[in-house]
Amino acid sequence: MAQKEYTVDNTNLDKHISQSFNEELETIKNQVLAMGEVVEQQIADAVESIVNVDKELAKKVVAIEDDVNVREVRLDELCVEVLACRQPAAGDLRMILSATNIIRDLEHIGDEAEKVAKMSLTLAKKGAAPGGYEEVRHMGELVHTMLNSVLDAFNRLDVTQALAVAKADKKVDREFKSAMRVIVTYMMEDPRSIKRAMNIITALRALERMGNHSRSIAEHIIYLVKGLDVRHTSIKEIASKLGQ
Amino acid sequence: MTNLSSQPAANAQTPSTMDLVNKNLAKRYRAEKRFKAYGIAAILFGLACLVILFTDIVSKGHSAFLQTYVYLEVTYDADTLEIDDINNPQQIAIADYSALVKASLRQQFTDAKSRKERRNLYGLVSNGASFTLRESLEDNPALLNQTVGVWLLADDDVDTYYKSRGDDKADAFVGRLVPKQVAWIETWITNQQIKKRFNTTFFTSGDSREPEQAGILGAMAGSLFTLLVTIILSFPIGVAAAVYLEEYAPKNKLTDFIEVNINNLAAVPSIIFGLLGLAIFIGYFEMHRSLPLVGGLVLSLMTLPTIIISSRAAIKSVPPSIRDAALGLGASKMQVILHHVLPLSMPGMLTGAIIGFAQALGETAPLLMIGMVAFIVDIPGGISDPSTVLPVQIFLWSDSPERAFIERTSAAIMVLLAFLITMNTFAILLRNRLERRW
Amino acid sequence: MNENDPQISQDITNLITVGNAFSEHAKMSMRNVNVFYADKQAIHDVSLDIGKNEVVAMIGPSGCGKSTFLRCMNRMNDTIDSCRIEGDFRLEEDDIYHPNQDVVALRARVGIVFQKPNPFPKSIYDNVAYGPKVHGLASSKTDLDEIVETSLVRAGLWNEVKDRLTAAGTGLSGGQQQRLCIARTIAVGPEVILMDEPCSALDPIATAKIEELIAELSQNFTIAIVTHSMQQAARVSQRTAYFHMGKLIEVNDTKKVFTNPEHELTEAYITGRFG
Repeated sequence: MAQKEYTVDNTNLDKHISQSFNEELETIKNQVLAMGEVVEQQIADAVESIVNVDKELAKKVVAIEDDVNVREVRLDELCVEVLACRQPAAGDLRMILSATNIIRDLEHIGDEAEKVAKMSLTLAKKGAAPGGYEEVRHMGELVHTMLNSVLDAFNRLDVTQALAVAKADKKVDREFKSAMRVIVTYMMEDPRSIKRAMNIITALRALERMGNHSRSIAEHIIYLVKGLDVRHTSIKEIASKLGQ
Repeated sequence: MTNLSSQPAANAQTPSTMDLVNKNLAKRYRAEKRFKAYGIAAILFGLACLVILFTDIVSKGHSAFLQTYVYLEVTYDADTLEIDDINNPQQIAIADYSALVKASLRQQFTDAKSRKERRNLYGLVSNGASFTLRESLEDNPALLNQTVGVWLLADDDVDTYYKSRGDDKADAFVGRLVPKQVAWIETWITNQQIKKRFNTTFFTSGDSREPEQAGILGAMAGSLFTLLVTIILSFPIGVAAAVYLEEYAPKNKLTDFIEVNINNLAAVPSIIFGLLGLAIFIGYFEMHRSLPLVGGLVLSLMTLPTIIISSRAAIKSVPPSIRDAALGLGASKMQVILHHVLPLSMPGMLTGAIIGFAQALGETAPLLMIGMVAFIVDIPGGISDPSTVLPVQIFLWSDSPERAFIERTSAAIMVLLAFLITMNTFAILLRNRLERRW
Repeated sequence: MNENDPQISQDITNLITVGNAFSEHAKMSMRNVNVFYADKQAIHDVSLDIGKNEVVAMIGPSGCGKSTFLRCMNRMNDTIDSCRIEGDFRLEEDDIYHPNQDVVALRARVGIVFQKPNPFPKSIYDNVAYGPKVHGLASSKTDLDEIVETSLVRAGLWNEVKDRLTAAGTGLSGGQQQRLCIARTIAVGPEVILMDEPCSALDPIATAKIEELIAELSQNFTIAIVTHSMQQAARVSQRTAYFHMGKLIEVNDTKKVFTNPEHELTEAYITGRFG
């Protein structure tokens, strides 16, 4: 997997007196972004595997999950090292704390992607669901964009973009509800399809969760940049706290 | 080292750091050794000089601690002494005891016929002998008209002859002695009528024209009183001045000026201080000459700069943290100085003071100017009795023509050195006690 | 690199203190303080309150004026001839620099502990007893004994030295010496204790003990501490003041300063972006 070189000059992470501290922080940031990229790809592949009934692709998504787990553990170790050796304060401290939380969220997103991929395999084996594929594709795109955008926000430490991602979660929730209504209609029409429909519902539920995790990442970015804890806060309140 | 140098260099063209270091190492070791050797050589040179000095002084001076005495049978003849009432101390005091000595000598050496010969004969015994006889008669009036054998002080020429004689007559220093006199002395030697005893006179009497009667006590007392005046005056004044300059004086031109002057004064030749003393204490205040008081005043002036400079250095070396600590607890400036600065700087101040006093003790030139060079026989009893001091006494004796004064000069130097060492030891003990407290 | 950094080389001439420099229960309050050494201005218009029973840490790069400011708080800078102090220093209602204010009395109320442990070269007992003796706080030997014991107990040193009170204070270890200095300071019964980098000469264990002691002392005393160790400031203080080039840049709750400082200079300093 080709790693993109991220620049971090806009965060002043490279302005420490200790050059090796700069490097450690940069490494953490780059590794988080790289992990994000892998997870992004997982989402895209998982969704595609359902829509195109692609068993191979689904298997690949499941296989990549191990890689994501390894990355999570490695990044955690790195963060603990920096905490222990550098005793970071202020921005650096928030950077490390956000990074550990973002890693956790990314790992959960990866888990959810794996779930979607597994459903894709089940659907391929047990037969297609009565509907909801279009909804899966649509939600998958939404979530993929959210993650992509929130990682970009993390890279540029862009609070506005992070806020936009947090807002987008609402849209995913709405999509999920309307998709549920559609599928429930199918199930009522043909109770025999309930079993298969449940699989697609699981996939949709997983995508909705991914949206929640993306929002969580956005909140961590806001904490990282502004030092404001915006968890369990409505979007309106967040926006007013940020003065936007 | 060999292990390191045997490692192959990483690059054949450029020698490794270790190689370069090793190459220079031997040179550095040699330089180090040389450097150390210079120091040892300097110390050895100093020690050698000291040893030579001491050997010379001791070898010349040790004989002065012994004095030659002659055994004579003396008859306390009442007629010769013209004493008719033994209970009259007046008569005993004014009697002519030298006649007894002369009679005794005439009796032993009947070959002295002419006046000149007799004078030579009488000259063999010190005229101090008559004092010995008087004292013994005063102590024991029953001796009148008795004949007793007494050891009497020999003349300095006899002393010199006898001390230099050793076993062989030929080695002896004859000096002013005429052959007849030498023959008489030889008779005494054969009769074992002559011997050397510890020279108590040297430590119990003042100066004298006669070497055999000359003592160091007067000069020692003079030195002691002079130094006492110096210590009492210069130490408190010096410390007070140093404390003011270090702790209170504002940093301005005047303070700088004073500082420069103090430093300059420390380098002023001591004779200038003598002239100053002469002009001020004797000329203006009309004090008497030759007084330890005046000498002490002059030496105080001379010692003050040394004490001030060393005391200031000692005060400066008190860590500022201690001052801060005391100030921070709310001590006033005076409390800081009295409770902390002075006790801590006292050892340093004492060191400076010791140097100053040692200098003062050995100082001659300024004392010459104020008349402490006078010939004073009486032992001073206080700071207002005329006296001389040890170094001046040494100077005086070294100038005297009598050969017996040579050894006395050396002996006086030894006494001066002993005085110095005692004083320094005391001061160092005092300093160590102060230092050891913490 | 730092010189070219716009963030760090920014103009701070017209800077005003951010955060919360004032306290509702101020024990000491300083207003518009300017300090000059000869012609050089060391402190520029600093205002700061130290609240009652509060520990305020002052941090900042070397030469930023934090120690100068601290020493002005009990007039230790009076001894420096070239030092000129402007502004209002108050200990509760009393003007510290009022002509009628006696320095000795002031220092009995505002004690100071220095960077290097500096016990007097006297016995442990005499070290602690010195202040009370100077101020005449003890009427009898028993009184004095009691003051010495209480002070040593409070400084957490009693158990270590109770058997050798007559031993030299300078014979203790560095950390013990510093606690002895603290005991000496609290023996006078001050209201405020100023600490000028009290742990900079100590090892981590001794430092931890002193920090623990500071926490305990803050129940009875008001403490202002200058420190070079940001971690120490974070550990011991309730509020932290950041000085930079003679200016007070930021004062805030310590928690805030170390997680989310308001001023970027503070952030740059505590994250080690310049020294």
